[in-house]
Amino acid sequence: MTPELDRRKFLKLAGATAVIAACGGAPAAAPSGSVTASTAPKATGRISIYSALNESTNNQLFAAFTKATGVEVAALPLAAAGDLQTKITAEKNNPQADIFVGGSSEFHDPLGKQGLLEAYQSPNAKDVQAQFKEASGLWTGWYTGIFGFISNTSRLNADIGGKKPATWDDLLDPVWKQRLILPDPIKTGGGYIFIATQIFRFGRDETKAMDFMKKLHPNILSYGPTSPGVITSISNGEAAGAPNWSHDILTEKAKDPTRVDLTVPKDTGFEVGAVSIVKGTKNLLGAQAFVDWVLTKDAGDLNTKLSNRGSVRTDVAPAPGAPTLTSVTLVNYDRQWATDNKTRIQKLWQTTVGIQ
Amino acid sequence: MSPETAHVRVSHVTKRFGGVTAVDDVSFEVPKGSFATLLGPSGCGKTTTLRMIAGFYDPDLGDIEIGGRRVNNLPVHRRGTAMVFQDYALFPHMTVRDNVAYGLRVAHVSGPDRTRRVDETLAFVGLGGLGDRWPNQLSGGQQQRVAVARALVIQPQVLLLDEPLSNLDAKLREQLRVEMRILQRRLGMTFVYVTHDQEEALSLSDWIAVMNAGKVEQAGAPWEIYYHPRTAFLADFVGAVNLVPAQVTNLADGTATVSFGRHRAEVRRPEASLRAGQDVRLCVRPESFTIAPEGTVASGISLPGTIVRRAFLGDTMRYWVKVDDREWIVDQPDPGGSATLDGPVSLSLRPDRVHVIAE
Amino acid sequence: MRSLRREPALLLALLAVTALVLLFVVYPQLQVVLTPGPGGYVQYLQDGTWVGPLRNSIQLTLLSTTTAVVLGFIYAYAMVYSNMRWKPFFRLVGILPLLSPPFVVAAAYTLLFGARGVISYGVFGQSPNIYGLNGVWGVQTIAFFPFAYQLIADALSRSDPRMEQAARNLGAGSWRVFRTVTLPLSRPGLGAAILTTAIYILEDFGNPQLIGGSFYVLPTEAYSLISSFGEFTSAAAVSTILLLLALGLYLAKVRLDGGRSFVTISGRASSMPRPPVSAAVSRACFVACFALAGIILLVYGSLVVSALTLRFPNNLQFTTEHFQYVLSGTNGDALRNTLVFSGVAAAISAVFALFAGWLVQRGTWPGRRVLDLLLILPAAIPGIFFGLGYLLAFNQRWLDFVDRGWLIIIAFVFWNIPVGYQAAVAGLRQIDRSIDEAATSLGASSIRGFRDVVLPMLGGSLRVGFVTTFVRAVTTLSLVIFLFTPPTTTATIRIYQLVGDLNWGAATAYTVADIGMAIIALLVFAVLARGRIALGAARA
Ligand SMILES: Nc1ncnc2c1ncn2[C@@H]1O[C@H](COP(=O)(O)OP(=O)(O)O)[C@@H](O)[C@H]1O
Ligand SMILES: [Mg+2]
Repeated sequence: MTPELDRRKFLKLAGATAVIAACGGAPAAAPSGSVTASTAPKATGRISIYSALNESTNNQLFAAFTKATGVEVAALPLAAAGDLQTKITAEKNNPQADIFVGGSSEFHDPLGKQGLLEAYQSPNAKDVQAQFKEASGLWTGWYTGIFGFISNTSRLNADIGGKKPATWDDLLDPVWKQRLILPDPIKTGGGYIFIATQIFRFGRDETKAMDFMKKLHPNILSYGPTSPGVITSISNGEAAGAPNWSHDILTEKAKDPTRVDLTVPKDTGFEVGAVSIVKGTKNLLGAQAFVDWVLTKDAGDLNTKLSNRGSVRTDVAPAPGAPTLTSVTLVNYDRQWATDNKTRIQKLWQTTVGIQ
Repeated sequence: MSPETAHVRVSHVTKRFGGVTAVDDVSFEVPKGSFATLLGPSGCGKTTTLRMIAGFYDPDLGDIEIGGRRVNNLPVHRRGTAMVFQDYALFPHMTVRDNVAYGLRVAHVSGPDRTRRVDETLAFVGLGGLGDRWPNQLSGGQQQRVAVARALVIQPQVLLLDEPLSNLDAKLREQLRVEMRILQRRLGMTFVYVTHDQEEALSLSDWIAVMNAGKVEQAGAPWEIYYHPRTAFLADFVGAVNLVPAQVTNLADGTATVSFGRHRAEVRRPEASLRAGQDVRLCVRPESFTIAPEGTVASGISLPGTIVRRAFLGDTMRYWVKVDDREWIVDQPDPGGSATLDGPVSLSLRPDRVHVIAE
Repeated sequence: MRSLRREPALLLALLAVTALVLLFVVYPQLQVVLTPGPGGYVQYLQDGTWVGPLRNSIQLTLLSTTTAVVLGFIYAYAMVYSNMRWKPFFRLVGILPLLSPPFVVAAAYTLLFGARGVISYGVFGQSPNIYGLNGVWGVQTIAFFPFAYQLIADALSRSDPRMEQAARNLGAGSWRVFRTVTLPLSRPGLGAAILTTAIYILEDFGNPQLIGGSFYVLPTEAYSLISSFGEFTSAAAVSTILLLLALGLYLAKVRLDGGRSFVTISGRASSMPRPPVSAAVSRACFVACFALAGIILLVYGSLVVSALTLRFPNNLQFTTEHFQYVLSGTNGDALRNTLVFSGVAAAISAVFALFAGWLVQRGTWPGRRVLDLLLILPAAIPGIFFGLGYLLAFNQRWLDFVDRGWLIIIAFVFWNIPVGYQAAVAGLRQIDRSIDEAATSLGASSIRGFRDVVLPMLGGSLRVGFVTTFVRAVTTLSLVIFLFTPPTTTATIRIYQLVGDLNWGAATAYTVADIGMAIIALLVFAVLARGRIALGAARA
């Protein structure tokens, strides 16, 4: 448990270098080819990371970070980014996290607006496109995820006639009646991005988008409470298909390529996975070192390998078989608008399809 | 009774529970070393009074003194009293020995001393050898003795007992009644005893307070309570009695002349004030008569009558004798010694056994 | 009142208990309840979005409670009255569901009974849509009937066998005796059992969350308001509605519980066996229990199978890799945290609740009704808001010197106070007041009397408090989800994470390890406490 740790942190802040040396662990050499914390004082100690990344990704990613920088990680993994956002909000009196990593930027942006994030312009972020980062550095995007469609191969052949949807409109075909599962637009980030995608697809005509969602409703067997859970359901054949994250679909497909398959319908949306520093961090240098590090090529490569996600860095090659932002047709996704109108749109959808 | 000898003093104590006045301005004093009993029908406030002495209830009004010291503000465990409960309240998770030793342990009485006193007390109440039993392995009478031993062993100033015998069968009750009396005499400890059983009260006590509806109706020696009850309620409550309506016809120094039915008698004048012509009741205990076959000449008030019923009670024969239009209860002691009577008889009554109740 | 003035130690103890309850129950909850402010409540109530979830909650609670109670009643009747075989086995199986985090079980149900469930599809070729009202109803029925069974069995076994003996002597058959004597006598207990089950169902979050689909009930509505919209205000308003409902049920239950008590320990002891039922009834009982236990075993069996196979249900090749994963690295720390937090909290909560119960039940001071209410209040507070309240109240920099583990332990202690407290009050009601009075009359102070006499005699209540707190602490997710930090992660958090992470094998292995650990801990406790595990009134 932590009292000793806290005392260490305190002493460290007070500049007790001897203690730092005792607990900081062996500093590793900075990997070549990337810019690591180039500012004068060196990051040490331990940082606390709230992570919405997958379990398997967390372990290896953080181990690599520690190896690269010598900064230790205490990870708090929760696959639900919304929970982490809430936790950080609720902890604002006395933040327990140094870093919030993973989850679409929609979950980071409100925290920044509430003044709960520490702005940081990482030197490694300068090549990152503006659409992938918050201008003042409150959060920085470091990976991308593309919304796709998972189909259960045997059910697709048996019930749908083997035809995968080429466009989202294809899902309105009555052949899909009660054979789709959609990640819940209220409970999951993916579900919301799906709705926002439709809005952008109809040139921000909310009425048309809602009309689409309303027509889609009879085809939906259920709205799944978590995005990964929906993938399990499809893999088990509970329904024929589901809109979901391409990278997670690929991961599932890797386990048994004959069971499920991935397609990316035209005009799809995507997420920007973000990293941010929580205001009030007790180890600012360590936190900045983490932001710097996830933006390196090494980290990008590792994350791509572990999770099949894309990287915001152009020099990181996509995972085999993974769609990229250039290989698919994207809608003109206005992330800021989607973030700012999230609650309104979600509620609009609720009333449209008559839930509650 | 002088204040010095009063060991327990209850003065003007009142206790209410919600709307019910359980104890209503009660006062009495219990002399040191005496066996005092609160007697009364169920619900009359005996237990409440006893529990106020113990400290389980706070009086709403009035004071309680023990050994000359006001104890209203002392908690239960500082009052120097110990209580024996109606249901014994033995600690079921302790052996008999541990039950008895409990008070000593609380008082920090050391090991060997404690063992000795516990053994002595157990032997004293006739439970030597049962120390290692659990309460549920004992009969009712044995449990009762443990309860008494447990209270006695701490040598309280005053022992409070709330109907300790009421859960036992008649024979055991009588046996323990005797033991209880002997015990109290031997220890010279002040006992305050609560019971609804008049026989128990009469046979045990030095002093009895009869309560009714939250008030003390009369207090005094058993004999006084029994033969000179102040009210009809008391007369009736303390035992079988003939209560006969009568009228005072004449009053003299120390005596009163009363008439009832066709009869007239000169009897002892009671303490209560009387006036000539007043309606009163005569209180005559069944054993105050002499009963003899018809025609036998007897002294005192003579009442000829006819036996209508009888009941054999063991130590006495009880007759219901019709005199004029009224039935009298008459007890004949030692029925084995004389023949059973029947038919017309002659009753005689000593005038000093007739008690006048003015109400 | 005067008794307090006469015994300062007692007064101090009372003040301390009151202060702790105010600090750890009232203060944190006020943080939550006051969040919306009057304007917030008015606006939210006018908004009207709460009507649907409220209606759903009431409907679901009525349905699930009815079915769970009927099944629980059958199981309980069989356990208490029949002479059927395998009773110890059925008893053990009946305890299993109490030891597991509900959301994992809900996930298992979907794998068994869902559209492609091993049973529904694999055996019967059906593809039921379990998402929505019907699904949640089914799952809650199966998930909560064991709770109902425990509570009802407890209520039934409290009836006095002597009355039944007497009725049998008068020539009544066993069923008739049950109907005309036992049922009326245990009606308050049964009523309380039903209401308690209803509260659990009302506050159930995991099952509606996982398979409710778009059927929102109050707890899922509140959670999604926070988690999806970040709307603390509306969520707090929803939770206040939930809290009022639960509190209403709880007060009704307490009234039933407290109204009458037919059994008392007076310091005079006797015991008597229950008259037997006919062999035919026993056989019927056996069949019913066998079927119900079968359902429970199916669910838990699937967890074990899943934990030991590569990819349940598609690839059933045996593997130990999931367990290796669970025990590797820092994964095991969460198990250890769960054990330590739950054990310490259970011990503290049980003793504290008993002491508080004694102060309230035996006391005569004014204001004890208020303290009584405060002590049962946490039972009506959904875990997620209890945790949130703690975070808002105690996540302060100046409190950093306190280990976060202690905060979780304290939250466990006070969240679970009502169970131990209720058990203590029920226990005390059965012990004649004269028994503790006897101790004080023998010279012990009130507190000494409590220690020497009441505490040992209330071993049963103490065990109930300990076991229930332990079990609830081991299985709760909602309470810790806002309180845990990396070093104080608990097993349920890890399982939740693994379920969310699609790592079904590891999730089930973790669950099996967690349940196994809880069982071992309880067995050790049972040996130490030299008694059967008193899960009976556990969820009271
Ligand atoms: N704790 C109590 N609360 C309310 N009423 C009580 C309580 N104790 C006694 N009473 C009432 O006070 C009256 C006297 O009771 P009690 O002293 O127990 O009588 P007794 O011992 O003479 O049978 C009764 O009417 C009884 O109902
Ligand atoms: Mg009484």
